[in-house]
Amino acid sequence: MNTVIETDKLSKWYGNVLGLSDVSLKIKPGITGILGPNGAGKSTFLKLITGQIKPNIGTVRLLGQKIRNNYCLMSKIGFCPEQDAFFDEMTGWEFVTGLLKLNGMSNDEVRSRAKDSLEIVELINDKDRVIRSYSRGMRQRLKIAQAIAHKPEIIILDEPLNGLDPLGRRKIIRLIKEYKTEGKTIIISSHVLPEIEAITKKIILIHQGKIFAQGDIHYIRDLIESHPHMISINCSDPRKLAAKFIHKDFVLNVNFGTSQDSLLVETNNRDKFFGLLPSLFVEEKIDVFSITSPDDNLQAVFDYLIGS
Amino acid sequence: MSIKEQGYTHWDGELAPGRFPWKPITRYGIKLTFKRKFFKPFFFMTLLPAVVFLAGIFISERIQDFEFMIKGSSTPFTVNPGYFYTYFTSVLFMIVLILVFAGSGLISDDLKHNALQLYFSRPLKKKDFFTGKVAVIVFFLFIITLVPGLILFIMKLVFSGSFQFVRSFPWLPLSIIGFSVFITGFFACYALFLSALSKNRRYVSIMIFGLYIFSDILFGIFYGIFRKPYFCLLSIKANLQQVGKLIFSQKPLYDVSPWYSILVLCLFCFLAVLFLSHKVRGVEIVK
Repeated sequence: MNTVIETDKLSKWYGNVLGLSDVSLKIKPGITGILGPNGAGKSTFLKLITGQIKPNIGTVRLLGQKIRNNYCLMSKIGFCPEQDAFFDEMTGWEFVTGLLKLNGMSNDEVRSRAKDSLEIVELINDKDRVIRSYSRGMRQRLKIAQAIAHKPEIIILDEPLNGLDPLGRRKIIRLIKEYKTEGKTIIISSHVLPEIEAITKKIILIHQGKIFAQGDIHYIRDLIESHPHMISINCSDPRKLAAKFIHKDFVLNVNFGTSQDSLLVETNNRDKFFGLLPSLFVEEKIDVFSITSPDDNLQAVFDYLIGS
Repeated sequence: MSIKEQGYTHWDGELAPGRFPWKPITRYGIKLTFKRKFFKPFFFMTLLPAVVFLAGIFISERIQDFEFMIKGSSTPFTVNPGYFYTYFTSVLFMIVLILVFAGSGLISDDLKHNALQLYFSRPLKKKDFFTGKVAVIVFFLFIITLVPGLILFIMKLVFSGSFQFVRSFPWLPLSIIGFSVFITGFFACYALFLSALSKNRRYVSIMIFGLYIFSDILFGIFYGIFRKPYFCLLSIKANLQQVGKLIFSQKPLYDVSPWYSILVLCLFCFLAVLFLSHKVRGVEIVK
């Protein structure tokens, strides 16, 4: 698969404040989630890769070309900023068409693309209302509409789910997922972990201006050796099962939960553990109700990595 | 049909910039200005001096028909470069008022609405952005400077029915164009600079009007105290008048070389451009 975005030793300071430090990565088509707490450097990273700010050190290449001062390349990017960026007295239609015109399209093309994008974000019926009267969710969707209207190859969404109600959030998540199937590259930043988890498994963790991890969330979890995997099992006889585990060197800790049927196991080798588990259930004739990994999620990975 | 292969890139041609990427910015700026309350009647009012001066040219050519009006006047009523100079300096105040409507929100509205990052995430250079903004001011100011100036010149020829006026002042069309461009260029920098100082359009309007008036008052105060004509360099109006005198080959209004005024105004424009290029960028700066 082609590398769409490539950064090399990318660093940015704002005076004495470190924005981003030594970021080298390659991003391929599909959805990539940029994750980190507020002030981690997510927006700085997005602004650097869209060429809006100049890096102090390092380079950015988009579709094989340098982004900085390469204005033509901007027509291949759709950017949805974190903050509201609207002229309140404009209608939604005027806003989208006005920005489309900056891409140098003909009037017919502008009209047809604006209509398409407003239909996609389900704002076509409200297109003639002034933006001032839009709800928070509608404004977010309008920002996305302007980012996708010119059919860019790369869509960059900075905190697009901020302040949305669950319904609005679901709509936008569905929209983003639909775009993935069209071979686009979508980069989405958020500080809310479940949001990203709902959209993609491919993540980049940023904290204090540095990339902490990059890749599939489960893969990253496996790499964190300092924290054993926790596996919660609900079964008919947890004590019998615990007795079997206690002799295994890859099992580090066994705890019983508050309920009669729960067992919490800590292991440093998940593969061996899950290789053994089915045979134990069969041999010991234990009924299993559920198996979960409470720390095999983004929140746990994030907490482990940043040490919180 | 959607494309399922993720490695597919939809387009592989040469990326070419649009011909006039700034045009939508200008069009929107003009449209928005006309939407402002009271602007339309005011704008037509600014064209009144041109009508008055046109009537003056007509009267000067048909002086025998209007003798009853100028009876007792010691100076004969003539149309010469000084007449054109008077027209231009008489609309200076109108220009400032036009800027209050058309220039105040040009950048301040973008700053207020965080729109710069949207502009600069499009195939738009900073140069295009400024060209689009300047073109809004050029549009309005040319309508009350260059266009009437040239029309007055042409009407003078039409009413006189000869080319004697062109033979006497062959450089006058160039002076009209030159001074119009100078005034417009200066006021474009003036308005954009002040517009970039605040996110509040009302404050900018006050600054546009206030600075023009205040600079003239300051000149008046210092001149009143020290009696030195050099203080005219403090006044925007006086500087423009001095430049106008030079361009229309008239005796300077104050006993100071008009080149100093050109220098002062150009320096202001230079600093304004420096400030604007620093202030106008796609993102906020964290300090």
